[in-house]
Amino acid sequence: MTALSYFFVFLFYAATAVFVIGVARKIMQYARTPAPLKIPTTPAPVTQTGVVFRMAREVVLFSSLFKSNKWTWVFGWMFHFALLLAFVRHLRYAISSDNILWPLINNSLVLAAGQYGALAMLLGLTGLFGRRIFVDRVRYISAPSDYLMLILIFAIATTGAMMSFVTHTDIVQLKSFVLGLIWFNWQPLPNDGLLITHLALVALLMLIFPISKLLHAPGLFFSPTRNQVDNPREKRHISPWGQAIDDAEAKAKA
Amino acid sequence: MVYLQRHIRKLVTLVGLGILLSLSLTSQAADLKPVIPTAKGGQCVEKTDVMRKNHMEFILHQRNDTLRRGIRTSKHSLKECIECHNAPANDGKVARISEKDHFCSSCHTFAAVKIDCFECHADKPEAAQYRTSAKGGH
Repeated sequence: MTALSYFFVFLFYAATAVFVIGVARKIMQYARTPAPLKIPTTPAPVTQTGVVFRMAREVVLFSSLFKSNKWTWVFGWMFHFALLLAFVRHLRYAISSDNILWPLINNSLVLAAGQYGALAMLLGLTGLFGRRIFVDRVRYISAPSDYLMLILIFAIATTGAMMSFVTHTDIVQLKSFVLGLIWFNWQPLPNDGLLITHLALVALLMLIFPISKLLHAPGLFFSPTRNQVDNPREKRHISPWGQAIDDAEAKAKA
Repeated sequence: MVYLQRHIRKLVTLVGLGILLSLSLTSQAADLKPVIPTAKGGQCVEKTDVMRKNHMEFILHQRNDTLRRGIRTSKHSLKECIECHNAPANDGKVARISEKDHFCSSCHTFAAVKIDCFECHADKPEAAQYRTSAKGGH
């Protein structure tokens, strides 16, 4: 084990802790934020099941984005779907061959989709970056973090794709390193420039995730205009503090 | 709000259970690396670390040279890989590509990398193949 391997072991434990605790705290914060008004964007589902379907459509197909801007949707959806494909392909580095998920992971189609999905990811990111540069009204509202986030993910995708398409790394040793992290039996990391860069950038992404715009991932589920049932007449929408005032008034009258 | 919290608790529980289940179904520390069978020869045609990263490139390059340009050499030939790395064990048994103790599949199974070499090529050394070992023949 080199010093570098130990550093990355530490880095990944730290990054994972920050990511998990940070995102959990944010989710708690979002959950506690009052939604005092009944404001589903109509036409909205009138049942809870309907809301689940609406939400699923948002998450899987980005339907609101599709209705608002086709170009952003094309590049955005392409990027996110490629991200999913890459995620599934990466599972082979973290899951042993006797796992119940293995047939899904060790599948030629899934693996190939994950590999060539990298190109779709880069194309999508390029489109999203171009949008911030070439569309005047988007450039006007773009903050440094908007560009930097795209650049960071672009760098991660590029180094990853390079290892797949150009210069290989020792993936067997890499998998040992990852399994070593999971089972607290640390193994050396292949000393490979591209891999080190790729992993360092991923750790950076995990570290800044809980304070970044990427929180739209859990945040989406808390959009009052999307997660509310359209039933204001059937059921009175009242927040807990509103209920408390009601109760106090009723008590005063009595 | 209370409503959302209840759902989140459900979601967190589900995700947590999923992770625990997935991990518990994964084998433990014993399988941190594949068991790679030792080769017959002393030294490989390239350095070990180079081979670990680039063996597929060598074999593919060799294939193009041999098949398309007619240059047949043995340095990077798949046949020679098999001769050394999948020699018969002491009891004369030779591992097949479908088995985990075949030199190629030990790592390829571990890392989920599918290969199609052995759809055509033999996965055993020439001397161990039934066609040549069946002395007396037809």
